Amino acid sequence: MPLKKKKWFITLSVLFIFLLASMYIHLVSGNFPMTMAEVWKTLLRIESNDKFDLVVFDFRLPRIVTAALVGMGLAGAGVVLQGITKNALADPGILGINAGAGCAIVIFMYFFKLEMVNVEINSIVNMLMMPIFGFIGGAVAAAIILLMSYKAGRLNMQRLILTGIAINSGFGALTLLWSLKMDEDDYQAAAIWMNGSIYNANWYFVVAMLPWLLILGIYIYRKAHMLDYFQLEEETVVTLGIPIEKEKLKLMLASVGLVSACVSVSGSIGFIGLMAPHIARQLVGIHHRNVMPVSILIGAVLVVFSDYIAKTVFAPMELSVGIVISIVGIPYFLYLLVRAKG
Amino acid sequence: MRIQYKHLMLFSTIVPILIVLVLCISLSFGTKSIPLTTVWQAIVHFDSSNADHQILWSGRIPRALAVLFVGAFLATAGALMQGMTRNFLASPSIMGVSDGSAFIITLAFVFLPGLASIKLVILSMIGSLIGGALVFGFASIVKNGLSPVRLAIIGTVIGSFLSSIGTAIAMYHQISQTISMWYNSKVHTVQMDMVLLCVPIGFVGLILALFLAKSITITALGEDIAVGLGQRTRVVKVLSMIAVAILTGATVALVGKIAFVGLVVPHIVRMLIGVDYRMIIPCSAVMGAFFLSVCDLASRYVNFPFETPIGVVTAVIGVPFFLYLIRKKGGEKYAA
Repeated sequence: MPLKKKKWFITLSVLFIFLLASMYIHLVSGNFPMTMAEVWKTLLRIESNDKFDLVVFDFRLPRIVTAALVGMGLAGAGVVLQGITKNALADPGILGINAGAGCAIVIFMYFFKLEMVNVEINSIVNMLMMPIFGFIGGAVAAAIILLMSYKAGRLNMQRLILTGIAINSGFGALTLLWSLKMDEDDYQAAAIWMNGSIYNANWYFVVAMLPWLLILGIYIYRKAHMLDYFQLEEETVVTLGIPIEKEKLKLMLASVGLVSACVSVSGSIGFIGLMAPHIARQLVGIHHRNVMPVSILIGAVLVVFSDYIAKTVFAPMELSVGIVISIVGIPYFLYLLVRAKG
Repeated sequence: MRIQYKHLMLFSTIVPILIVLVLCISLSFGTKSIPLTTVWQAIVHFDSSNADHQILWSGRIPRALAVLFVGAFLATAGALMQGMTRNFLASPSIMGVSDGSAFIITLAFVFLPGLASIKLVILSMIGSLIGGALVFGFASIVKNGLSPVRLAIIGTVIGSFLSSIGTAIAMYHQISQTISMWYNSKVHTVQMDMVLLCVPIGFVGLILALFLAKSITITALGEDIAVGLGQRTRVVKVLSMIAVAILTGATVALVGKIAFVGLVVPHIVRMLIGVDYRMIIPCSAVMGAFFLSVCDLASRYVNFPFETPIGVVTAVIGVPFFLYLIRKKGGEKYAA
């Protein structure tokens, strides 16, 4: 065991270094011409200049922090969903939870305007409210998924994904419908957001999502051992005295909350919840208490790095980070499908 | 069998009447109401100085025709695919066929701008073939990949992969607005010359489908039986794939992607008239035409005077149906 613990610790540290590295390259690159030295000087307050301050503190840093947080949230939710459904292909995006949360948020945006440019107190309140609405939509999606794919008390893996596909297109259509009803400015804001992009990130969004991620993150980490039990035969777990359905429901809601917080900030980003837990399991084995932190870090690295690619590959054009991730994520999904049994 | 013939008789009389009815509503009502007599006048004696006639010929007639034929083509393509693969979830939008087509159109817009429409239609068909081939090719190397549910998953995922890449390319070349028109059905901008180009091409596919109907019925009994009955299954499959590509390619070139028509309509038809594809295919075409015309009417009137995208209407009907199919048939027995 100590050897394993050591390996786990090394993995975690290496990933942390990766995360710092990708944050760093993200920070020092961009359209605004700044040398690395200037970035450092601004960051460490050695030499300050209003322009540099604006770029670093109001544009680049919130974006990087948001990317990292979104990656963490989605990866954590992915671990939980894969654990609950015993399905290696589960992912909030594929299952349609993203779409449900997104749809609710677009409806919210329709009723309560969202000012991205001149932020007032009113819109700050709205930003803080967004995750809550997202949560409602995500919970509806999750409920449909569970209702549709439980048959004779068992979750059917294939049906789960198909239901997800259906939910995705259904909520997608609803989202389209509502977004077309918006007036032009709102539509613009919604369209940028829907594509899964974080280049308009600001600190308010970070504040809006942080409590969700902290509380639910700690919750799912504390409950991580439950996910190990779920992998056993259901009869066995029941004899251990664990109220299985109740625990599953709680964890499911926690992961919906995580996803909604992420979606409300970044729009729908898929496949992180799929890839991160897989890579983590390859690295540190199957114990969820070990897998969880590793996969959260992997998620952060993936999103930060993908956002760096999205920002630079076609510079000065921005690609949305969601598209970058799905171009990488879909082949990975197919690879998993090839390997999967049955 | 007798009851099904009864259904068939009913079907072949009622649905065409309904189609004519829907067409009349679709042509005569709108932001400006035009009496049916004027509609008739415009069709038989077109007068270019009459504003009503202009509205009809530049907007409503091409649109009504496009929707009618697109519905027929998509439903036929869906019926062919469901029969050929014996897969209750097969349809052009789920199996990556429409996505392949839209993807190639994106590439054509980016790298060969100003392409003649006929070439665009041909490219669109090639795209359909590529999309379908990609999905089926991939499915056949995956274990159990050709089972209904897995094929649907693979198809959707490859489809969204193609459209992600398409969107990325479109963004890079700053034509995402034009491209998103192709991706999200654009029935309201249909031009008469595109209709006159795409509909005859689609008809070739339709005739091929009718010609294949008998073989599809046999294929639907199962591979072994089909071979036992002396069917050249490979030839039938290749020909059906070509027919599907022609049908889907023509529709995507005309109006973009419209989901769920090819999935829902053949199922309804099968419920009504049974399992013989010699009847399912023509009836699907008729039913599809009716279905999409109604959806188009709904898309115009649900939020009058604003238009709702037709894809939203088909999804509102299609998604619950899809869920129902999964619930009903997606169990272990079929999933394996």
